[in-house]
Amino acid sequence: MTTSLIDRYVFTVLRRVPEGQRSDIERELRTSIEDAVDARVDGGQDRAAAVKQTLLELGDPDRLADGYADRPRYLIGPVFYPAWQRLMVVLLATVLPIVVAVMVVIRILEDATVGEVIGSAVGTALTAGAHMVFWVTLTFAVLERTGVTRGELRGRAWTLDDLPRYEPGFLTPAQLAASLGWVVLVIAVIILQQFAFTEVPVLDPANWSFWWPYLIGVLILEGVYAVWLFRRGAWSRTVAVVNAVLAAMVAIPVTWLAVNERFFNPEWIATLDWGGTDPLAWLTGITICVAVGGALYDVVDVAVRAERARRGLRTPVPGTGREFSAPLS
Amino acid sequence: MTMDATLSGHLQELRRGTVVVASLTVLREAGYGYSLLETLSAAGFEVEANTLYPLLRRLETQGLLTSEWNTEEARPRKFYRTTEQGDAIAAALRDEWARLDKAIGDLDHPAGTDPRSEQ
Repeated sequence: MTTSLIDRYVFTVLRRVPEGQRSDIERELRTSIEDAVDARVDGGQDRAAAVKQTLLELGDPDRLADGYADRPRYLIGPVFYPAWQRLMVVLLATVLPIVVAVMVVIRILEDATVGEVIGSAVGTALTAGAHMVFWVTLTFAVLERTGVTRGELRGRAWTLDDLPRYEPGFLTPAQLAASLGWVVLVIAVIILQQFAFTEVPVLDPANWSFWWPYLIGVLILEGVYAVWLFRRGAWSRTVAVVNAVLAAMVAIPVTWLAVNERFFNPEWIATLDWGGTDPLAWLTGITICVAVGGALYDVVDVAVRAERARRGLRTPVPGTGREFSAPLS
Repeated sequence: MTMDATLSGHLQELRRGTVVVASLTVLREAGYGYSLLETLSAAGFEVEANTLYPLLRRLETQGLLTSEWNTEEARPRKFYRTTEQGDAIAAALRDEWARLDKAIGDLDHPAGTDPRSEQ
């Protein structure tokens, strides 16, 4: 009866111990338990009670096994937790809404009912969200267990240069990466829509003779501008003017093409059936609004920042409740 | 958190690591798991079997202890002994312990305020 209690305890420990160490750990653990039981019996205790007491003191067998196996009792430890948490927030608060919004637009273009749109929005949010959480967590758990340190992950140790500048003129490395990523994404969409996504290209293929290569060229200039701004590290009138010129170089041709019905591929427009409404008129309107509105917002935003920096006005540092006042230059 | 829980948390933090020094010091003479547990608790170390047994194996993998099965007696036991390297590390740890003890004493009674003169 009592031996079976020890057996049950020992077997439970062995289940979670590496196979190569099992027999040695079993022998040692059994003698240690017997030694402790004998000591209690010598002290006048009943043997059955001594066994129970000894095993109770040894405690949770899974915990003991983890001690023997020397494995962490957590999924993601303190070294990786901050990076995991930041990535999780970005993915769930920024990327997931974008994915859901794109899905909703696609479903609306596919002429879905309101119920279907809501259904696929909820479905996408749950599926994409679960994928994001799962794969990111799995990656970090693997990193945790393969003994990669934070320094190796970054390629070098943390230095003072890693501190954000917080001055309004400075792009953070993350903002630079976002700007460049946006440029690459838009260029990829322009090129890929010709070959993928839909059976016929969305944008008018006739413009490959000039306007689409031109737009790709301007987008590359936007990337160069972001790198220049990142290195320059200060807003100024020059920056505001360059930014405005670049914005106009995108917005004016796009608007002109849309107005002249040369933006979308007529063949693709012909495949759309939106009931009573005219798809071309709507899409043209939306395109002009996005092009003009986006450009105006960008121009005004940068001009205001440049003017504030020029006057040395105090600028709030996001997320701190503090203000930074730029030195007059 | 109650005062007791706070205290026991800090005590645990403070005691972490002392079992290693104590074990390496005691095992300069070979001993087995349960005997070491008895010696340590008699010496006033609050150590639990479920931390000590895995710790011995860990110190062995680090090369600070060697082990040998003694099958001459009725109950075969695994005897551990501190290696030369383990002894060197234990000495360094004891030095550090003494240094910390002195440093804390100095903080508690800054130079010039001899605790004996206050009584």
